[in-house]
Amino acid sequence: MTVQEFWDYLIPGIALGALYAVIAIGYTMVYGVLQLINFAHSEVFMVGGFAVLMVFTKIDFNDPSVGMSVLLVLLGFATAGFAGAGTAFALEKVAYRPLRKRNAPRLAFLISAIGASFLLSNLAGKLFGRNNHSLTIPFENKKVFTVMNAQVTVLQVLIVCSAVIMMIGLDLLVNRTKMGAGIRAVAQDAETAGLMGVDIDKVISRTFIVGGLLGGIAGFLFAMNSSVGYTMGFFPGITAFAAAVVGGIGNVRGAMLGGLLLGLVESFSSPLFGEEWRYVSAFVVLILVLMFRPTGILGERLGRTA
Amino acid sequence: MIKIALPVVASALVLSACGSDDKKDDSKGSSSAPGGGGGDKPTYTIGFQAGLSGENSALGLNEKKGAELAVEQANASGALPFTLKFTTSDDEASETKSVAAAQKLIDDKNVVVVVGPAFSGPTQAASPNYAKAKLATLSPSATRVSLTDPKNNFTAFLRGTPNDSAQGGGMAMYFSQKLHLKNVMIVNDKTPYGEGLAAVAKDGLTKAGVQVQSESAPQKTPDYTSLATKVKNSGADGLIYAGYYDDAAPFAKKLKEAGVTIPMISGDGTKDDKFVDNAKDAAENWLLTCPCMDASKEAKTAKFVTDYKAKYKEDPGAYSAESYDLANFAIEQMKTFSDPKSITREALLGKLKAATYTGLTKTFKFDQNGEYVGEDIFLYTVKGGKIEYTGNIKELSKS
Repeated sequence: MTVQEFWDYLIPGIALGALYAVIAIGYTMVYGVLQLINFAHSEVFMVGGFAVLMVFTKIDFNDPSVGMSVLLVLLGFATAGFAGAGTAFALEKVAYRPLRKRNAPRLAFLISAIGASFLLSNLAGKLFGRNNHSLTIPFENKKVFTVMNAQVTVLQVLIVCSAVIMMIGLDLLVNRTKMGAGIRAVAQDAETAGLMGVDIDKVISRTFIVGGLLGGIAGFLFAMNSSVGYTMGFFPGITAFAAAVVGGIGNVRGAMLGGLLLGLVESFSSPLFGEEWRYVSAFVVLILVLMFRPTGILGERLGRTA
Repeated sequence: MIKIALPVVASALVLSACGSDDKKDDSKGSSSAPGGGGGDKPTYTIGFQAGLSGENSALGLNEKKGAELAVEQANASGALPFTLKFTTSDDEASETKSVAAAQKLIDDKNVVVVVGPAFSGPTQAASPNYAKAKLATLSPSATRVSLTDPKNNFTAFLRGTPNDSAQGGGMAMYFSQKLHLKNVMIVNDKTPYGEGLAAVAKDGLTKAGVQVQSESAPQKTPDYTSLATKVKNSGADGLIYAGYYDDAAPFAKKLKEAGVTIPMISGDGTKDDKFVDNAKDAAENWLLTCPCMDASKEAKTAKFVTDYKAKYKEDPGAYSAESYDLANFAIEQMKTFSDPKSITREALLGKLKAATYTGLTKTFKFDQNGEYVGEDIFLYTVKGGKIEYTGNIKELSKS
């Protein structure tokens, strides 16, 4: 591999990794507060894509101006974030809260999560058809600049920038605010947090909303990069879950790191081993990391960063 | 998460297929053909199997409409010594669901012939059962070469189209003889169809002295950016994508973004308007091969196009006309029975194997393995957001 090629694959790898990181945060936060793998998170991601698809189809823009492009992208973020947060909120209310109230065993939560995932995915298939839909990008996805002769497109800049902003925002939210303190307290010891006056239900609900917001937006970004379809959440969801585990499940910074790592591994596996080895190499990395660090790269710091 | 839920749906399909009658020439009709025909005309059903929902279902739907139209017109003509019904079975273009979908038709004893399956994978999976039931399957579009291998014993499979070796060979011919390319990259989508097509194209190119690089990108790859970059860096002067439109579209987009401008060609799996709809201007100048000719471009198919449009409010798609032809072929052979009450699956299969039928699109004739005889491949080009008919590859490559 030449230096030139290295940069050619590094850039899409960073963009993909940033996306995985944002999705992985949703898995890791919910795990932090509930010790539950929310498998339906991949469908929250899909709902984000479909919501923007619906709005953009309604508006039906054609060659928008620069100002209009910015507005449309912001509208896309708002729609996807709102749809994702709403879905995650409803999901928690319908699929998990009733189980929690009845002190159901851990396994019941897992089955409920998988059931919700099937339901949402097939519902989308039923409503929107099982073909892939193309999301019209509200700007011309041209080259913005080159790094070492490797081109960087508008979309890649957008993905990385918004992911970084979201991750910084989330880090501040979790570590600096009262709500973040609540989340961390519940993650550390839900019972004690309850005794100390933390409203556990509210904290859990909010955790879902924040995770869903990020998941929905990631769905929008992903849809612009490829397409919208009822199964679009499956592979990115599984990979992001793996990323959360690689980084140390329950650890927000670990999820970011894990996402980036897997994105890069996938991107480089294409030229090194062939495109078909994409997932194999990602999961080989997962296994290698877990062999040497069973709690992930940064470890399960449940109490400290949610 | 989807993958696990699907067997449930498949088994539901099987259940819903239970309870058909046992006598095929019973004029009361079966449970799948309620009502029964009036008078003493026997009723027969023409079955149809393809992916009617799920990814890449557009081809199946095109074919279903073609066959359905043929049955409807035959009934309306009043010249039939029997009444025809039409029933469909959805295999979701999936190998795993194909067996159940086929069983639904096999269990319906009123079904005497099947048009389909549409794709190679489902055909491979279902053909042993169809062979056992001696139920003829006339596929308009299952093009994988090995389906007609005598070792398979797919004795009820009749291919109504030239196979991938004709298509892959056509691509190789066009790239090497017409465009004089020296270094071609072939990307397949890891499906039986894509791998088969890629192998034949590679063979043809290698024989013509063209250097070939091979790549695989499984269906639903989330990000085609790195593959597009790889194509750009490969030094290839031509690209073959052997796969279906659902993945060809995002791939085409990424190729355009990466600045790849070499000639790009794909097969009949991509020759669908959905490819252009999804890839938008990135689809421009893509070349598409198809054993299907463009029904709307030929004078002899004008009436078919008008009728099709009147019924479905859309132009016939890829393989609609071929499917229409095959259904008519079957009806034609059913008419040759001296006693309309004596039509059986086995006898009809025998007649179809031996017969020659000239339809709107081409002349159908099968060799002893059920292989289509003839190998005309047609080239299409995406121009101005439309898939335009370019011509017969053999003639185009002569110059």
